Amino acid sequence: MKVHVKNWHAIAQWRWDTGASDVDDDGEGDVCGICRVPYEGCCPSCKMPGDDCPLIWGECSHVFHMHCLLQWISTSASKQQCPMDRRPWVTAERKVDANAAR
Amino acid sequence: MATEALKRQIAGKWQNAFARLNRDQEGITGLLAFSEAWALATEFLHPRDLNGSMANKELDMVKVRLAVETLSKSKMLPILLENFLEDMRKQQYLITRDVNQFMLQYEETEDVHHIARLVYRILEWYRAWVPITELGHTILSAYTLTFQTHVYSILPPSFSRGFKKLVNATFDLAQSPVPPPWLPPTPPALQSPVPPPRPDLPLWSAFEQLGLLDRYESLISSVCYEHIEAHILETCSKRWGERMLQPLREWMTNRIVPWMVMPYARGARSAEEARSMLQGVGSRFDFHVCKTLSDLRTREIFDIIIDFPDSQPALEDLKECLQRVDQRTQLVQTLRKANRKRLLHPGADTKDILTQYVSIIRCLRLVDPPGVLLFKVADPIRRYLRERPDTIRCIVASLVGDGESGDSLVDENEPIQPLQQMQVEDYTDPSWEPEPIDAGPDFRTNKPSDVISTLVSIYDSKDLFVRELQVLLAQRLLAITDGNFDRERRNIEILKIRFGEAALQVCEVMLRDMTESKRTDQHVQSQKHMMLHPTIISRHFWPPLQAGKFAMPGQFKLIQDDYAREFHSFKQDKKLRWLPHLGTIRLEIELQDRTIPVDVPPLEAAFIELFSEKDTWTVDELIARVGSVDRSAAIKSLTTWVDMGVLKEEISNQYVLLEVAEDGSSVSTGGAPPRPARVIEEVSAVLTVEQQQAEQMRVYWKFIEGMLTNLGTLPLDRIQTMLKFAPGYDRTIEQLGAFMEAARREGLVTVANGMWKLSRT
Repeated sequence: MKVHVKNWHAIAQWRWDTGASDVDDDGEGDVCGICRVPYEGCCPSCKMPGDDCPLIWGECSHVFHMHCLLQWISTSASKQQCPMDRRPWVTAERKVDANAAR
Repeated sequence: MATEALKRQIAGKWQNAFARLNRDQEGITGLLAFSEAWALATEFLHPRDLNGSMANKELDMVKVRLAVETLSKSKMLPILLENFLEDMRKQQYLITRDVNQFMLQYEETEDVHHIARLVYRILEWYRAWVPITELGHTILSAYTLTFQTHVYSILPPSFSRGFKKLVNATFDLAQSPVPPPWLPPTPPALQSPVPPPRPDLPLWSAFEQLGLLDRYESLISSVCYEHIEAHILETCSKRWGERMLQPLREWMTNRIVPWMVMPYARGARSAEEARSMLQGVGSRFDFHVCKTLSDLRTREIFDIIIDFPDSQPALEDLKECLQRVDQRTQLVQTLRKANRKRLLHPGADTKDILTQYVSIIRCLRLVDPPGVLLFKVADPIRRYLRERPDTIRCIVASLVGDGESGDSLVDENEPIQPLQQMQVEDYTDPSWEPEPIDAGPDFRTNKPSDVISTLVSIYDSKDLFVRELQVLLAQRLLAITDGNFDRERRNIEILKIRFGEAALQVCEVMLRDMTESKRTDQHVQSQKHMMLHPTIISRHFWPPLQAGKFAMPGQFKLIQDDYAREFHSFKQDKKLRWLPHLGTIRLEIELQDRTIPVDVPPLEAAFIELFSEKDTWTVDELIARVGSVDRSAAIKSLTTWVDMGVLKEEISNQYVLLEVAEDGSSVSTGGAPPRPARVIEEVSAVLTVEQQQAEQMRVYWKFIEGMLTNLGTLPLDRIQTMLKFAPGYDRTIEQLGAFMEAARREGLVTVANGMWKLSRT
């Protein structure tokens, strides 16, 4: 017997490739440290998730919604630091590149 | 022992009496003349037997008049009257005899002819005994009163019945110039030189002279009422498609009014006079028409509503009647009763209840625009609907137009408006009107709001609808395979107007996921042509999907991985997670003797793929290969293949592939190509709202369990207070109570005096 696939309508979810291995999971997943909304959700000022509300990676390994972080950085109180560890914020090259090199 | 004084007094009296009777004439000639006059007068007045001689007619009327004058001068008329009435009393047996005779005939034959004759006969007696007018008004009215009193006292009860029948029989005389056979010939006393306009005119005159009209007035009007009722029942029952009130009024004018002239306006000399005489009684009858019609329509109201909009004229009639007749309470009560009996019971479909509710809304709006009736009737329906679990789903389904069922609750022509909230009354509005008088204290003026707003307002919050809507939308979108979801987009656009942009933001994301998937797929296909066309969703914006984890085997896995790799190279910062149990796959199964095209869910596809490795598998082996799958789901999907004649359950729980179709199997017929057996899973991919809630409650059960383990026993409100610390907990204490009750039924907890504790200690 041979099984030929003629057409396949499948359902998939997209995830940000944060580099963390996705162990499971149907859990809520990681949340942005600033707005506490999941990465795959969108920051409070956005309506559409995904490419319209991307993430930003820091050298310090912390990840935020880009809009959230930019807003934070633009306040004087931030002193251009990562809100999680107070180290100077340096936007990292994308983790995905590392993955792609893998 | 007469004293002197007494003797003088008697003598004085005697003199007086004598002087009065003698009238100052010579000697006793005056006295003699008086005696003659008295004899003549009493002779004249004496009530005679009609059947006997008519002697009194032969008396010289001039003499009689003179005699009366003489008596009058002597102030003896009162005595004469007394004497006359006494004579009448003595002669009454004559009338009684006649009455009894006619009534006996009537009772035997039930023919109104005898009643009519009886009336004429009594009239004859009346006229025969009537004193002449010279005797003065007093004596005439005293005579009439005595006569009537006597006649009424001897009429048997059956006379009222007969009289009613007689009146009834006069109804149809208006048009017929020829007297009907039952009408006896007009007695000479009532004959007039010109022929009467109606044959029954003399009869009515007789009624009046005998005072029967006054005495039986209610009976006469009841005859008319009954006539009206019978006519309305006959012409209007179940006829809702046309206005009836106007034709009824015309009927009144043409049929009833000519008759009404007889009892109520016979004496009218001109049309103008007749109209003013008929006004009072006419409006009473018109009221009765309205009342009868509104009673009839009230009784039929439930079916009228079912028939809406075909029954609209009936409702307009009802509206007009209700303005005249205060039957609103009856209408409300009848409709509430009918609803309770015919609508609000477990046997009725929620969709039917909603349809009827919407019809009720439309109908009662028509009858009573301020909505007081509607408010009173709708209240029980709304309360009942709130208790039904699938109400929201039904409303939402009809909101988005459920395709097949056709009859959507929403009127296509109705303009789409935003949901209306309860408005606070604006007292500065110059056209403000007070609430109707029969509005209850909790009546709220919801100004003309559309049907959907009313339906949504069954529930306190519209969030429930949005959530249900999301589930429904998800089900539809995931079922779409051809990438055409214009209809859903249109629906959402319409619903946005109703519910507001913000509430439907989530749905907006879902729709964008659909377009986005299509675009992504186009790109991926341009890179590498593949059979796989996934819908890629943003997981936080879709309702929770059915959990299920298994791995697609063989070529499916390869295809998936291939696609995921292409996707990743297209969107570098994203990756895909497959939801393997969702979607459909079109396969072509190529067997030795046949090829079968099928559309199947992924689990079926996974299993058949495994059969291409080897021909025989047990259920357990299959489950082990794909990962965690429900055993029942596994058997179900295997059965699908068995039904198609591809697999066969060789021994229990062991399936074998049929490379060559077995005889008698339905698909093996050589000539005709096997039909594609479409087996699309009915089970929906998306969790319903209740399932979601149950799912969430399972999480909280862990908290409750922990609490009760640590603290022993707790009252419900303590549990609720503590649960409020849990993230996302939004249940009311009632919901918690219901949940705990369910847990108790499962034997997990026990309750005593409102304190809950775990069963196993």
